[in-house]
Amino acid sequence: MKRYLRLVRIFVGATLSAQLEYRANFLGAVLASLGEVGVTLLGLSILFGQPGVTQVGGWSFREALLVTGFFMLTEGVISVFIQPNMSKIAEAVRTGNMDFTLLKPIDAQFNVSTRNLNVLRFPDLLIGLGLIGYAASGLDVTPGGALAAAMLYGSAVVIVYCIYLGLSTTAFWFVKTQNVTELFSGVFGAARFPVAAFPVPVRFVLTFVLPVAFITTVPAQALTGALGGGLALASPLIAAALFLGTRWFWRYAVASYTSASS
Amino acid sequence: MRALAFKARVLFATRFAEMAEYRAEVVIWMLSGTLSLVMMLVWMAQAAAAPGGQIRGYSAPEFATYFLSTWLVSQLLVVWVSHELDFQIRQGTLSPQLLRPVDPMWLHVASHVAERLVRIVPLLVMVGVFTWLSGASFTREWWAYPAALGLAALGFSVRFLYEYAIGLLAFWTESSASFQEVVWLVYAALGGMFAPLAFYPEWVQRVAVWTPFPYMLGLPAQLLAGKATLAQAGRGALVLLVWLAVFWVVRLIVWRVGLRKYGAVGA
Repeated sequence: MKRYLRLVRIFVGATLSAQLEYRANFLGAVLASLGEVGVTLLGLSILFGQPGVTQVGGWSFREALLVTGFFMLTEGVISVFIQPNMSKIAEAVRTGNMDFTLLKPIDAQFNVSTRNLNVLRFPDLLIGLGLIGYAASGLDVTPGGALAAAMLYGSAVVIVYCIYLGLSTTAFWFVKTQNVTELFSGVFGAARFPVAAFPVPVRFVLTFVLPVAFITTVPAQALTGALGGGLALASPLIAAALFLGTRWFWRYAVASYTSASS
Repeated sequence: MRALAFKARVLFATRFAEMAEYRAEVVIWMLSGTLSLVMMLVWMAQAAAAPGGQIRGYSAPEFATYFLSTWLVSQLLVVWVSHELDFQIRQGTLSPQLLRPVDPMWLHVASHVAERLVRIVPLLVMVGVFTWLSGASFTREWWAYPAALGLAALGFSVRFLYEYAIGLLAFWTESSASFQEVVWLVYAALGGMFAPLAFYPEWVQRVAVWTPFPYMLGLPAQLLAGKATLAQAGRGALVLLVWLAVFWVVRLIVWRVGLRKYGAVGA
């Protein structure tokens, strides 16, 4: 365990020093972050800007802003921690570098998941946390609610990681996976709004078919106090099930991988 | 003239063959542009829950029609040339293209047009399915369809040119992709992807009419939904023609200046 923690520290240091070489990219990244925030806030503010609208799906503006904040935070987590690593899996399989990764004396899934970091998109995380803080300041949030939200968000991050890892593992067979992850990003765009803002059949799909609701709506519900016990229990269970499932899938992919050389 | 026709035919035939090979990817790319559809669902639910079943004169099926039209037009307007240019310039694969007797831009134009042709069939199928699922109903006026198509074609040309100019910024900076994201946001916002333009505050609408975006996305969508007149379409076409001329000149200037810089670095 200590070995893996030390490895994480080494990986972070390595990627940081590599990325900070290109300081000019920081301006571009800030622009992209602002663009992302603009898209999410614009959709919400137009909805609430109509005369006589105070609620969307039963959520007030501050409460809906919570969901938006969690969405930005998740986009930040994906941009900083998850996407830089997952995009390299397909590339590594295609160029044959996956062989070297598999030969190293540490767990390949750990290596592949933590090796890279995109520090430039760090402002996304700060913006997300800022939005959550601003929205929560206008609501009555109990310490128990905040703790539950943090834990449920933890399981939400695990769910996102597992979905991305599962989709990227198909690179062992399909080699080009950018499209499937784009597809997930497209579907994930629905997480900008609380699940209750959608028509009823769509709510069902977003909760039971694609676990989008668990990523942003459920942690927000924990903060507003409207969380039902069923969903609160389901989230960590789904996260655990997905983690075990993708772990098995990863090991199956590696086992069936015939290396790049003959 | 014959040489020109020959070059055009070769370019187009090769690009079409390439795009037809990637038809599965084309379908996936279509499905990942979901902002219009997400906004559609949210606004439909809002209208259904509102007193009188409508918001500012749009009922739920009318929202469905508007946003489906927006989705359809935005699919026709898709341009990825800035990412490709960024990649080509930074990787140096632009150099062999400069040796050809054709401006590299036409290669990209042929790719995009070919992809649009491959995209058309699955696009119409999907629009059919979504229309049936959401209860949308498109306009019955026959003139709306060629008018919307014409505006979409003009809008695509304008968009292609300004995205090309943004991609050429890669001659000077590594961050042209981020700049492109911001421009996309303005395009989506002022084009009416979040809501019909009439829903925005007054000052936003006044700013929007000075940009090409409402005429390339919002106006064709309104035509298909039956909420715009032929006169408005004609005016929109004139505005887009002006923007087309502007961006043609801009692109040419940026290209010439950028090439000089590219050559100077010893590509």
